[in-house]
Amino acid sequence: MSDTRRMLAEMADPLFAELSSSATMERDWARIEELGLPLLLAPETEGGFGGTWEDALVVFRLAGYHALALPLPEAIIAGRAQEGSQEHFLLCAFARGAQIAGALDAALAIAVGYVNERQQFGRPLGKFQAVQQSLATFACEAAAANCAAMGAAQALDRGDATFEVAAAKLRANRAVGVGSTVAHQVHGAIGFTEEYGLHELTKRLWQWRSEFGNDAHWSRVLGELVVARGSEAFWPDLTARTDPTRVD
Amino acid sequence: MQTFATEAVDWPESATALREQVRALVAEHGERDPVRRANCWTKADPAFSRRLGEAGLLGMTWPREYGGHERSQIERYVVIEELLAAGAPVGAHWIADRQSGPLLLRMGNEELKRRWVPAIARGEAFACIGLSEPNSGSDLASVRTSARRDGDDWVINGQKVWTTGAHVAHFMIALIRSEPGSERQQGLSQFVIPMDAPGVTVKPIIDLTGAHEFNEVFFEDVRLPATALLGEEGNGWKQATAELSLERSGPERYLSSMALFTELVRHAGKHPDQTVRELVGRLAAEAWTLRLMSASVAAKLARGEDPALEATIVKDLGNSYEQAIPELVQAVVEMDLNGEDALARVTAYLLQVSPSFSLRGGTREILKGIIARGLGLR
Repeated sequence: MSDTRRMLAEMADPLFAELSSSATMERDWARIEELGLPLLLAPETEGGFGGTWEDALVVFRLAGYHALALPLPEAIIAGRAQEGSQEHFLLCAFARGAQIAGALDAALAIAVGYVNERQQFGRPLGKFQAVQQSLATFACEAAAANCAAMGAAQALDRGDATFEVAAAKLRANRAVGVGSTVAHQVHGAIGFTEEYGLHELTKRLWQWRSEFGNDAHWSRVLGELVVARGSEAFWPDLTARTDPTRVD
Repeated sequence: MQTFATEAVDWPESATALREQVRALVAEHGERDPVRRANCWTKADPAFSRRLGEAGLLGMTWPREYGGHERSQIERYVVIEELLAAGAPVGAHWIADRQSGPLLLRMGNEELKRRWVPAIARGEAFACIGLSEPNSGSDLASVRTSARRDGDDWVINGQKVWTTGAHVAHFMIALIRSEPGSERQQGLSQFVIPMDAPGVTVKPIIDLTGAHEFNEVFFEDVRLPATALLGEEGNGWKQATAELSLERSGPERYLSSMALFTELVRHAGKHPDQTVRELVGRLAAEAWTLRLMSASVAAKLARGEDPALEATIVKDLGNSYEQAIPELVQAVVEMDLNGEDALARVTAYLLQVSPSFSLRGGTREILKGIIARGLGLR
């Protein structure tokens, strides 16, 4: 991680953890503004950070991790694209994908912590192979969502990223089902109560899965992109997206 | 919790030229039949392997002194993903280039290195790996094949099973119990066994598609010189398990079915059926993500880190993806699996072989156990 991104994480993490799901605009937005976070992507000449999409990813992911109930991703994106435009929709889809990735990691951490503590049948739940295997499946899905979000951020920094954002949001959406199901399953009935905080994450995961494009939307967009290019173009296109431009 | 620390892959400036080189070579010598292009890293074609050797595309990262080309790990990655995406028949040299060569260079004595490494890089020496035994399956620590000292020599007796490519290999790197009476992970050593040594017998195991990929290998008083011991006596368990990172992280874990995906896109282009196009989109998202993850593991290996956990995650996700593809295609595209249509033929083939995808290189259950350990659950 670069120094900028480490600094951003160190700044945002404790504040988001404190505000988390109970934050309100009236009470807490000023503290977000104090840190200058809404101006993350604005140029330094305009008082912003001059940040990249990879920097934004750090903030979006942490907002998801702490289920931050403030429209910070929307505020960060506001200066970049006109609301209602295709570009705006795409950028918000990227933000939701990143938030999902963060929230999945948080739900996984809570689940792992819980099964290590909770004793049943004379030993911690986490010692049961069936529980271990479910959580391993969850970890794979969370890993995929996180990698996909990063790939989309890199693509946005390179330029046209419709393909990558579509793929990342679709991948994140798919991870939500497995992740939230396992998180609740290993918690038993406790996870289903209002007093236990897991639902702050899972409710948002279900919400974010619908926002800015559900599975059908993005698989249609991606499918059309791929089919239009033809069967022989898929692989060369994929590699051309990441290879450094050739200098002839 | 951060499940998978991804960092940007620094794709080399030479990538484009390397890709063009591989694409031209495959167009000239590779495989055109879409069924043969699927699961291509199990398809042996020694002539093609020699051609790659001549082109300098084997042993790419190894020292020149041993026939290598001193290219970077990421340059090698570019070459292997191109070969797999094109469905080139790389099975003959696959294990030697991926695992055996690097292992010999790291642990081998001078004689072993001189004898085998340059020949691997030329595409003339192929390897197999002797791990599983009857009744041992995934429990590798239960191996019973024995190596007994006789003067300066070692005498090997026992049997290996599920040995991929033993019938085309020139040598085997085998995990063998070298200390009589030792238990589990203790007392195991790795040996390099020439397949033409007296007392080595290979018997085919034919799979359910009728293909010959696996074998049983019998050792009857196989006499080896002291120099056949690879690495340290008694350190075989550690050496063999370290090798598995190389086996699990590669793009072969998600690219086995690229031939099917290509045929699906071709089919979708001819029939503007929305469900088929949505499936194309879904599979494209998955393939794109897996490529990112797989390359990220390669980048970590290149930096000298040991991404064993990440490699395991990539293999598990890759296996699930590859097993899902033929089933999903079957579910949305009407087809006669016995027909001549290319899409139906590849689907039929992959439906049959895909059960092996979550077995080879570690079963799904073993992998999930490793991931659970990474999560702090074991």
